[in-house]
This record gives sequence, C-alpha cells and structure tokens, in this order.
Amino acid sequence: MSLLIGSMTIGFILSLLAFGVVLSFRIFAFPDITAEGSITLGASVAAALLVGGFSPLAATMAGFVSGMIAGAATGILHTRFNINGLLAGILVMTSLYSINLHIMGKSNIPLLTQTTFANTAEKAGAFVLGGRDSLNVWGWEVSTRDASIFVFVIVMITLVSILLYLFFLTDIGTAMRATGDNSQMIRALGVSDGNMITFGLAISNGLIALAGAILAQYQGFADVQMGIGMVVWGLASVIIGEALVGTRQLGFAITGAIMGSVLFRLLVAIALRWGLNPNDLKLITAAFVFLALILPNLLAKFSATRVRSTARA
Amino acid sequence: MLETKRISKTFNAGTPNEVRSLQGVDLTIEDGSFVIVIGTNGSGKSTLLNAIAGTFLVDSGSIHIEGQDVTRWPEHRRARFIGRVFQNPFSGTAPNLSIAENLALSARRGRPRGFGWALESNLMAKMRDTVRTLKMGLEDRLDNAIGSLSGGQRQALTLLMATWLKPKVLLLDEHTAALDPKSADQVIKLSDDIISREKLTTLMVTHSMQQAANLGDRLIMMHRGSIVHDLRGAEKRRLRAEDLLARFEDLRRADQLDETAAELLQRAYV
Repeated sequence: MSLLIGSMTIGFILSLLAFGVVLSFRIFAFPDITAEGSITLGASVAAALLVGGFSPLAATMAGFVSGMIAGAATGILHTRFNINGLLAGILVMTSLYSINLHIMGKSNIPLLTQTTFANTAEKAGAFVLGGRDSLNVWGWEVSTRDASIFVFVIVMITLVSILLYLFFLTDIGTAMRATGDNSQMIRALGVSDGNMITFGLAISNGLIALAGAILAQYQGFADVQMGIGMVVWGLASVIIGEALVGTRQLGFAITGAIMGSVLFRLLVAIALRWGLNPNDLKLITAAFVFLALILPNLLAKFSATRVRSTARA
Repeated sequence: MLETKRISKTFNAGTPNEVRSLQGVDLTIEDGSFVIVIGTNGSGKSTLLNAIAGTFLVDSGSIHIEGQDVTRWPEHRRARFIGRVFQNPFSGTAPNLSIAENLALSARRGRPRGFGWALESNLMAKMRDTVRTLKMGLEDRLDNAIGSLSGGQRQALTLLMATWLKPKVLLLDEHTAALDPKSADQVIKLSDDIISREKLTTLMVTHSMQQAANLGDRLIMMHRGSIVHDLRGAEKRRLRAEDLLARFEDLRRADQLDETAAELLQRAYV
C-alpha cells in the first residue's frame, strides 16, 4: 500500500511537469528541452533555500520563479535572437547544469533534517488524526505521513490546475492559445507572438520547476542529475492522458495530464516491482513515446489498406 | 488617412532570384475611401498590402496611418489601426478555438490584454447579435471550434473580426479567391455592406474584374511593382469589366514590346 500511495504521490507531483509539457509541446508545438534543466533548477533553489533556513512555502515559490526565468531565457533566445527552438532549449538546459551546481554548491543536497512541506503536512495530518501514526483506508493500513502528504499534494495539484484552467480563459490566456494555433492571425490582432511564446515558456518552466521543488522535498534530496529524461517522461504522461480523455477541450487536456502522469508512474512502479532493471527505465520510456507517436499513423495506414482490399474484394 | 511615400521592397536582393516587388509606390487614400487594387500576377498587389500591414519592413520610403509614421512599427503594433482578411480562409482564425473565443480576441485588437475573462457576458450577447446578422445560423454554435466551419463561414467571421473594432484601414487580400462562387458572393456582399455602413477606409485586392468594376470608389492597377492606373470619381463609376480587360491587354502588349525590343538590342550590340 505504501508503494501504491508513494507512486501516486509522485505521479501527482509530476503532473505539474505534464502541465508544462502540455503548454510547450501541445499549445505552442514548441519542443522545449529546457524542462530537463528547470526541474532540477526548481529542486536546487528550493533545497538551497531550505538549508538556508527559509520556510517551505518561500523555498517552493522561489523554485517556481527560478523556472519562469529559465523558460523566459529560452523564449528570448528563440524569439529575439531567432535561434531554433530546440537549440535554444539545449543551450539553456546545458547552462542550467552549471548554474544548478553553483546553487547547490555540490551535486546533491539532502533534506532529511530540514522542515519541508512533507514534514509540515505530516504534522498537520497527525494533528487532525489526533496523533495516530497510521489509519485504515478500506482495510489497508496507511501511515499518517504518507496519507497527509498525499492529501496535501492532491489539494495543491487541484489548486494549480484550476488556476491554470482559469488563466487560459482570460484575455491573455486565450491569446496564448491562439498564438500556438495561428500566429499570423494573432499578430494581425495586435499580439506580439514572440512575447506570448516567451511568457508561455516562462509559465511552462515555472510549473516544471515547481514540480522539481516539491519532488525534492518529498523524496528528501535534490540532485543535479534528477532532470535527465524528464521531457520524455512528461511527454509519455501527456500522451497517455490524451489517449484516456482526448484533447477536444481545455479542461480535458489538463485533467488528462494529471491522469496520464499518475497512471504512467503506477505502470512504472509495477514494472519495477516485476523486476524491470531500473537502468532500462529511460530506454523503455523513450520507446514507449516513440510507439505512441507512430502508432496513430500506422493504424490509419493499416485501416486504409484494409478498406482498399475490402473494396477490391 | 493612409499614405505611402515612395515605398520600395526587393526580395532576395543580390541573388539570381531577386524580385523588385515594390518600386517607389506613392499612394494617398482619404478617409472613407474604398480602393480596389488589381494587377497581373506578381505585380505587387499583395506585397503592397503586406507592406502596409507590416508583415515585413520596407527597404525605403515611409508609411503613415492617421498622421503617425508607422514605417518601422512591427506588424502586431500596427494592428491597432488595421483590420485584415487574408486570401486563405485558414489564416484569419484560430481553428482550435471556438467562434466566441476568436471573436473575443478580435474585440481587443491592438489593446492591452490582461486577466479579465475573455468571454464576459456583455460581449457574448453582442456576439450573438452580430453573428446573427450573418444569417448563417452560427449564433447558436458560438462554442464550436472554428476549424469545423466551411471556408465561406470562416471568411465571413474573419471579416467580422477585422471590423469588430472599427479599423482605420481595412485590408482585404483576395479574400474571396479561395471560396466557391456562392460563398464568394455572400462574403463580397457582406464586405460591401460593412464597408459602406461603417464608412471604412479600405484597400481590396481582387482578381475578379466583375468585383473590380462594381465595387469601390477608386481603382488602382499595379504592374511590376508600380501603380500604372489610378481611376476615381466618374471615371471609376463608368468603368466596366471589359475596359479593365482591355487595359490588361495593353500591359501585355507593352511587355511583349519590351521583350522584343530587348532582343533586337541584344542582337545588335552583344
């Protein structure tokens, strides 16, 4: 049970990563690799501040803001200096590696003794439950710590997704969605598409850094390597979410990202439990995304041939 | 008022593909004037509209709208003065956004966009009323994605969007060329209605000699990046489609003459 709850908690935390990927890859069709650096950036900034004695809230928010700056940097490289989007992201991601090492001062910061959101949630949970250290959920024994962190993360993700949804309904949010849809039109309506992309990437990477900041506090350490493979991870979550609920509406895209992220994390946990070598995880994730990208085309081709052969017969 | 002074634009300068699209175009358009632009392929009609809209910056010359020098302004900044409808029905609308969202975007053309609701109720009510005037039954489908509509419906909506806030200049770039004849007629009638009702200063590029003869109060004909005819007043009113075709024929002959002369000269001197 602890494994299940733990996987779901991480799944929910990483749905922030999926939100960021929805924004860059789906709304702008911008292959933003900055994510790999900004998730670590959020983690390192939060960890460094927590060690420096800042409150979990302040440290987490600072992580979010740091990600926004990283995203804006990629946006400016791309829109002001006309650098290819993929390359702009690679440049920022690479420089973030050094920056993250500087922020942390070493390659890994443990957060076992610091007050993090996880400890705070645990204390609050213990208070609500009157000091019991475990509770019974449908016949399963769940530790208070796991349960309170889980509830805390769900509340936070709900909050962020509602805010994100509402943002997309504002004048500026609508203009942002239209920028990805038809940049010629949005320029003709008086919106600088370059500024919109920069702003959108800032929000996207802010969310991804937020995921990093919270993940570091949950797992109890920040590590300079933790961002590797995260873009593909986020893409896999988004693709699963789209398969589950479709993309017709904005609300679906957001709930799909959450569902996809949680489900993907659960699948990974099960696979690891069944003896999948953790070293193969990234290879398998990449293969999964590859398959998900080509399957729709293959299926379309397959059914087209079948229709043709039935027509001939 | 729209004023271009000796604007020039050369694409791919210094390469074998060099195209001198605009060669010192002088044009002054008074407020409320409806100007038709015709010309041969590659004569610079669309380039002229794009230069005014700011799709690219001109190499030389200046562009003034309402007395403001907009020559160096980027496209999105000029949008506060300019409403546009493109030739391609897909260019003027965002397909994945709803009809209402597209219209809401145009209701803030050239204005700052903040965190107010895009679809607030007053605007929605106004949208329903305005879209009803199209008589396309779209007023009940405002939540549908625009991508699900036909080209004619999309062009009609783009026209509404371009004129939602009264533009100082309306640019129509062959906006019915990609439509079937019936939709084209509908969109042309709608354009004419809006332009005359709102007294919009308009530049309309067209390939249809019928439209060129019937619409507008002034006609300019372009050829090789310059204005070769500028007809207005009674002269424009008398104009018929056949007269325009005759003028095109003249241009063609002159071109041929040029080429023959060049050939003769080449033979004699090279």
